[in-house]
Parts: sequence; structure tokens; C-alpha cells
Amino acid sequence: MSMVVRKRRRIPWGAYLALAPTLGLLGFFRYYPDVNGLVHSFTNWEPGFASPFVGLANYRAMWHDQIWWQSFEHIGVIFLIAVTAMWAIPLGAAELLVTLSRPRWRFVFRTLLIVPLAFSPVIQVLTWEFIYDPNVGVLNHFLQGVGLGALAKNWLGDPNTALWALIFINFPWVAGLPFLIFSSGLQNIPREVFDAASVDGAGRLKRFFFIDLPMLMRQIRVLFFLAVVFVLQYGFAAFIATQGGPNNSTTVPVLRMVDVAFQADEWGYAAALSSTLMVIMMIVSGLSLLLGRKRGGAAR
Amino acid sequence: MSSTSVTQPLECPDSVVTITDDIGAVRRHRARRVSRRTIIDLTVAAILSVMVFIALFPYLYMLETSLKSNREFLGNAVTPTWPPHFGNFVTAWGDVAPYILTSLVVAAVTTLGCIALGSVSGYVLSRFRFPGRNLFFGLIALLLMVPNVASLIPLFVLMKNLGLLNTYPDLIIPQLAAETVFAVVLMKTYIDQLPEELFDAAKVDGASAGRTYWSITLPLARPIIGTVALFSVIGVWSDYFWPELTIVTNSLRTVPVGVQFFQGELTTAYGPLFAGYLIASAPLLILFVVLARNFLAGIQGGLAVDR
Repeated sequence: MSMVVRKRRRIPWGAYLALAPTLGLLGFFRYYPDVNGLVHSFTNWEPGFASPFVGLANYRAMWHDQIWWQSFEHIGVIFLIAVTAMWAIPLGAAELLVTLSRPRWRFVFRTLLIVPLAFSPVIQVLTWEFIYDPNVGVLNHFLQGVGLGALAKNWLGDPNTALWALIFINFPWVAGLPFLIFSSGLQNIPREVFDAASVDGAGRLKRFFFIDLPMLMRQIRVLFFLAVVFVLQYGFAAFIATQGGPNNSTTVPVLRMVDVAFQADEWGYAAALSSTLMVIMMIVSGLSLLLGRKRGGAAR
Repeated sequence: MSSTSVTQPLECPDSVVTITDDIGAVRRHRARRVSRRTIIDLTVAAILSVMVFIALFPYLYMLETSLKSNREFLGNAVTPTWPPHFGNFVTAWGDVAPYILTSLVVAAVTTLGCIALGSVSGYVLSRFRFPGRNLFFGLIALLLMVPNVASLIPLFVLMKNLGLLNTYPDLIIPQLAAETVFAVVLMKTYIDQLPEELFDAAKVDGASAGRTYWSITLPLARPIIGTVALFSVIGVWSDYFWPELTIVTNSLRTVPVGVQFFQGELTTAYGPLFAGYLIASAPLLILFVVLARNFLAGIQGGLAVDR
């Protein structure tokens, strides 16, 4: 601490010099493009040429863009599943894991459950695309095998099932952040708490509702905001497996943005969509910081 | 728990029989408890095994199919066949190798770059006090919360104007920027936790800031360097939109994009196709096994900032 006081007199210019490369890199390749995109969202952006100012025209176009708002409905559905089933199953798995009394078994199952994380997400999607394949896919083979052949269909090609097929990629959704956070959270609850509870006669269910869940509340709050950011940037799986189709039934905001820029060549409009997404993400993150700090401070 | 039931009869030594009886009861009781626990363990393990099977099924199926000839696959898509066709992996290798090579080059440069930038910045932000320190750290940490995809459109225009599209720098720079953000935050948090005395002692001994960085901070930060390296490889193996939209030369494609551009036999035969997916996954799989502990440390470090 005394060092801090002494330091305050003399500004260490070397510090700025040492930070310069990092700040330069991030300033030029992260901050500058974002600001530039925001500025050009008010223009008819033609990269390399003069970009005439058009005021709010791009945002007005966005307001009337049905595909854009439809894409938010889709990520809304994805979000609902992401904060319910995609949490419930990993939480169940984590609870089962801590119920095991043998540490070695715990380790083995935990490792096996997260193996899919070591595969590239793109390869995960390609593998699942193959499972859904109408002709050679395992899913249809399986349905035919158990006498439900009538249910077999082109899962990713049918507007009624395509979005759900995308959501069910990586089912049972255990290999992911929620499971890692739940299982390490549960493991960090001190043994004494459980011992005290079992002396008081609390069974496994009571323990879940009155000890485990309250202890995990802070992690759940973090996961909630991560889920918002996750669905806002959701897109590559749809890009690979459905290209947003059929009939725009799986379009998501990121896909719409990419389409507008690279297919329609409307860069000003794409910049407006991109800036909108960015602002939403920043608001969500800011909110998470604010809430996290307030509640976290009170809890400690 | 069991000690009370043993000592109780000792306090009233009426007869030896009571004691032996009681010990027998304790033993029986204990045996029953152990077996109850075993039953719970076995039941839980059974449920977890079903979960593991469902979770790993696609990958096991991929492995199984990668060892089949196309005729075997079309005749029998579900059960394994004998003998395994390891030749599929040889067929796939030629197609996959360039993508793996490109990915490894990008990952290596990114890793070295973000470790250099991250450790210097993390050290400076953690151990020095100067005007703007919190602002700088805040500006860097803020980027952790805005995913790359939000900058896709304007960054594409910037790279286009710089004439960098479809080059190695085009692959490396955005990756480096993203990983540097993560590295700075992780390094700073880590160096914050190192004992102040170490740095004071170095100062007393007359070590310069550069010397302290090189001989104290870097060696101590070794575990976190492993984490940063793992995450930058994960980044290269995960990033899809950027290479997909900016790379047109086949040999410059990274694994996530490249696996969609298999040529010739790999597009018509399922065996070599899945063999290709497996080969493409291998580097990340191996790294995961080696650096599993660093992975969890990285997750916790990344979340610590969010709180």
C-alpha cells in the first residue's frame, strides 16, 4: 500500500508504452469498426465509394422488416428452451453426479459428459445434420425400427420442425457451460451444510430445494445473462444446417444481418442491424453487471 | 455416529453378551448402510450412463461409420461391420491436412501474440498505479461482453479497405484481438492474486520493471498461459462466420469452414467423410486431454469478471 502512495507522485510513462500495443490493436480492430459501423448505419454505405447520409432511413427500414422481427421470435423460442430444458437437464445431471459417493465414478461420469465440448461446434452441427438426414439419418432409421416409420420426415427441411431440429442439436445439452457451472457450484457447497441438514432430517428433495438451489442462485443469474447473449449471437448452426430456411422458418438476427450485407449488398442497412444487435448486447451486459454487483454485494 | 452406540453399553457393563451383541448389531447396521449406498450409487450410475450414451451417441456413430465402406454403410447403417476400413482415414487425410495446418498456424501465432500482449498488459494493469488505469481495464473488459459477431459487418469493410481479405493476417488479427481481451482479463486477475511481497522484494533488490516481468511474473503465470493457449485453439476451431465470409482460397480455410469443402470421394462416401471429421477434431481433442484442468480455470476466470 505504501508503494501506491509513493507511486502517485510520479506517473510511470512506461506503463502507457507497455499498454500501447494492446490498446492500439483493440482500438483499431474492435472499437473503430464498431463506431464506424454505427456512423455508417445512417448512410447508404457503399464501401470504397461515397456513402450519402440518409438519416434514419435504415432504421425505418428495419422497423418494417418482417423477416428481422420474425428472426427475433425464433431466438425468443430458442431462449425459452435455453433457460428451461437446457438448464434442467444439466442441473439434473449435476445433482446425480454429486449424489454419487465414489469420487472416481464422479470423475469418470463428469469427464464422459463433457467430451462433446472437445469437438469443434461446426463438426457437432454437421454430425447432427447427418442424424436428421431424411434418407440415411439415424433418427428416421430409429423411428422405422420401432414401428413409428410414419413419423419419419425431413426434419430440417420441414418448416414445422426445422427450428426444433436446430434446438435439439446436442441434446441432452449436458456438455456446456450450465453443467460445468452447476456441477462445480454443487461441489463447492461445504460438506458440513449437508451433514447439518441430514441431522435435521432433510431428505434429498428438501436438500435440493432448500440448500442446492439457493446456493446456486448467483450462478443462475450469471447464466441467465449469458443465455441472452448466447441467443443474440446464435447463427452458425442455422447458417450451416438450414440457411435460415425453409421459408425463413429458422432465420435468426445474425443470419438476416449477413444476408442483407453479403446477398443484398446493402451495407448501410446491414450496419444498422449490426449496430442494433450490438447495442442490445451492451445493454444486457451492462444490466448483468449492475444487478450482479448490487445483489452480490448484499449477499456477501 | 456409530461411536455412541458402541460406548453406551460400555458405560453399563452388565454382561459381556450385551457388548458383543451390540458390536454385531453395529456391524450389521453398517453393512446395511453400505449396501444402501451402493444401491443408490448403482442406480445413479445407471441413469448417468444412459445420459452419457445419448450425449456421446453421435460421436460414437461418427466413429463407427468412419470405419465402414460405403457399400457396408448403405446396406447396414446402424450396426458395426467387420473388418474396419482404416483406409478411410488415409483417404481423408489429404483433404483435411491443409485445413489443420492453416488452423495450427493461426492458433500458434494467435497464442503467442495474445500471451505476449496479455501478460504485459495484465502485469502493468495489476502492479502499477497511473491515471487511466481503471478506464483502460474497463475498456478492455467491456469487449469481453460484446461478441465478435456484432462487429462482423464493419470489420469486413475495414479488412476489405486494408486489402487484407483472404490472407493470413485476415485470419489472425480478429482472432488475436478476441483472445487478447480474454488474456488481459485473465492475466490481470491472476497477477492481482500473487503475493505483493514478491514484487516488493524484487524492487528492493533493484530489479527493473522489465526484469520483474520477465523473471517473476511470467514464470509464475505459467498455469494461466496454458489456459490462454487452450482457449485460443478452441477459438480457431470454433470461429465460423469470419473465415466463411472472408476466405476463398481453399488452403487458407481453417478447420470449421474447411470440413464443408471436402472434395472428390469425401463428398460421396460417408466413411471417409466421417474419418475426415474425426481427423479434423483430433488436435483439439488431444489438447483438451492435456489441458483439461486449464479449461475449468479459464471458465471460472471468465465468469469472475461477469459477476
